[in-house]
Amino acid sequence: MKVALFVTCLIDLMRPRVGFAALELLTAAGGEVEVPETQTCCGQPAWNSGDRASAIRLAKKLIAEFEGFDYVVVPSGSCADHIKHEYPAILGDEPEWQARAVALGRRVYELTDFLVHVVRLEAVPGRFAGRVTYHDSCTGLRSLGIKAQPRALLKRAGVEVLEMNGAEECCGFGGTFSVKFGEISAAIAERKCANACATGAAAIVGGDLGCLLNIEGKLRRMGDETTQVLHIAEVLTAKS
Amino acid sequence: MKSRAHRFKENAAASLANPVLQANLRTAKGKFVDKRAIAIKELDDFEATREAAKDIRNRVLEHLDLWLEKFEEVACARGAKVLWAKDGEEVCRLVVEIGKQHGVKKAVKSKSMLSEEAGLNQALEAAGIRPVETDLGEYILQINDNEPPSHIIAPVVHKSLDEVADLFAKTHKTPRKTDIPALTREAREVLREHFLSAEMGISGGNFLIAETGSVALVTNEGNGRMVTTLPRVHVVITGIEKVIPTLEDLATLMRLLPRSATGQSISNYVSLLTGVKAAGESDGPEHLYFILVDSGRAGLVGSEFQDMLRCIRCGACMNHCPVYQTIGGQAYGWGYPGPMGSVLTPLYTGLENALDLPHAATLCNQCGVVCPVKIPLPDLLRRLREKQLENHLRPWFERMALKAWAWVAERPSLYALATRFGVRYLAWLAGGQKSIPLLGIAPGWTQGRDFPAPEGKTFRELYRARSR
Repeated sequence: MKVALFVTCLIDLMRPRVGFAALELLTAAGGEVEVPETQTCCGQPAWNSGDRASAIRLAKKLIAEFEGFDYVVVPSGSCADHIKHEYPAILGDEPEWQARAVALGRRVYELTDFLVHVVRLEAVPGRFAGRVTYHDSCTGLRSLGIKAQPRALLKRAGVEVLEMNGAEECCGFGGTFSVKFGEISAAIAERKCANACATGAAAIVGGDLGCLLNIEGKLRRMGDETTQVLHIAEVLTAKS
Repeated sequence: MKSRAHRFKENAAASLANPVLQANLRTAKGKFVDKRAIAIKELDDFEATREAAKDIRNRVLEHLDLWLEKFEEVACARGAKVLWAKDGEEVCRLVVEIGKQHGVKKAVKSKSMLSEEAGLNQALEAAGIRPVETDLGEYILQINDNEPPSHIIAPVVHKSLDEVADLFAKTHKTPRKTDIPALTREAREVLREHFLSAEMGISGGNFLIAETGSVALVTNEGNGRMVTTLPRVHVVITGIEKVIPTLEDLATLMRLLPRSATGQSISNYVSLLTGVKAAGESDGPEHLYFILVDSGRAGLVGSEFQDMLRCIRCGACMNHCPVYQTIGGQAYGWGYPGPMGSVLTPLYTGLENALDLPHAATLCNQCGVVCPVKIPLPDLLRRLREKQLENHLRPWFERMALKAWAWVAERPSLYALATRFGVRYLAWLAGGQKSIPLLGIAPGWTQGRDFPAPEGKTFRELYRARSR
């Protein structure tokens, strides 16, 4: 089983440790894991900003880099969905490329989905002391059905999840939205933080770094220095 | 209605800074969302019903011209007159003409979003016809100096009981009261006079049924029935996309509309109005006019935005939208707020007049999930963003930044270099702290939150070092 890890640009830049945690999980699951070195970004920011030409070029680049693997695993629901479901639309005018996109899409998985449904990872390598609350990121939840998978893995790692009100509500990140409409975005994040903190959990956990940076940034601005904000891969490989 | 959509950012900032509005928005949110969630569970197969509703609306749009002709033929055979308006101006002209022809001094109105679009009230006033809004919400807005609505079905959802109590006491010159039944009784007493004295009633239309030539009105207050049956003249103003083929289609759509809108299994009133008062009938208007309005709709047929014409105006998309929930409807600047408004406003008033709206969404797709006719709203918003770029409507620095970033991302070695430099710069800015409170390159981000500091090296360089 040849597995490729698509790290995502945000993890590459902001939180390399999440990338290594994902690598550790995939290795624990028994995969022969590779990280194609020329990978950059899936092109979602271009597509969502209306730049079709750039989105097409970045899609083709990623397809060429990753189509030789049995599986492509992505520690982000949003990026995984972009590759899996948007690429065929983005490449709609080029049937050959579209066919390659569809073929690749069948083998693309969000990390927790892959661990639960493909490799059925039972023995989670990490141990995390403390209760957590889980934020369901929009695209993973609504387009890929990521809901039970992270909770099942957390349970296997012995972590108790305290459900917050509105766990499925958007945190206000929205990619470039968070910069273009910073005030609105931060106001939405405030609701998310309030709901999360009300659970009394020691950490807010999620599967998409964009949301997590947004939540962490808001928490710190609100003066909360103690609540941890962690990617699920970090929790599942924690050594505490 | 004059659009203020070009001032979206200012409007939104004002909403965020208004504590009364913020409190009212928090109260409203739960009501709509929770009630809908319960109501849709009553249906055996909600998803299949959505699919059926989508098919009904698509079937109409495939042959919109034929269904409209069918409607016209049947409605005329029942004594109605069908008039066509290409835009809001023509709507105003036609209604004023009808008013003059029948010697109308006062027109009572039930809710009509198209009359908002057209700015009908101002046109009527200018022609010496007094328009009186009789939907309680619309009435409140009208007596509050013609304030714009904030929601398509609950136009005063942004107001608190206290604000309405103050307004009623001031306008009706009565003792201030905060008892809701007492307030509604007061409104009824004022409005009853108008129902009885108006010569013309103006309504919208939720659906036009082609096989019977009827208009279906879905209401909760009963004012719609008064408006459409008491005055001698009834004018229906609605968009050309509202036609559906049969009563059976109506039954399917009605399983979804009230549930999606207010979380009701059925609204208090569902009226099917057909033709003028016939000999021997005791009620109904002597004259019935349908004004069927284009105002940009025909241009969407066959376009990449055709899906938007399926909309049945339930408001579920805005009720579930994190942005709408945070800033309310008036910030969007035109009659239609929330995701459906962010699609319709630029399409109906011009892309260049609502540049912010397609971007004012997180693309969380909660709207797409709740839409009873499965309109892919996030996808339509994204397409509008694409249209803006194609038409050079984005600021040059945004276009350049996007191009430059993509250009670098296509070149792995250059990208590696640029990102190594970038994350080191950000880590240096953080100066050992966990986060950066003010970020010059993305000031929007740090307006309301910190920017978490990066670790300082990229994954790819660390991975490379480790693999060696």
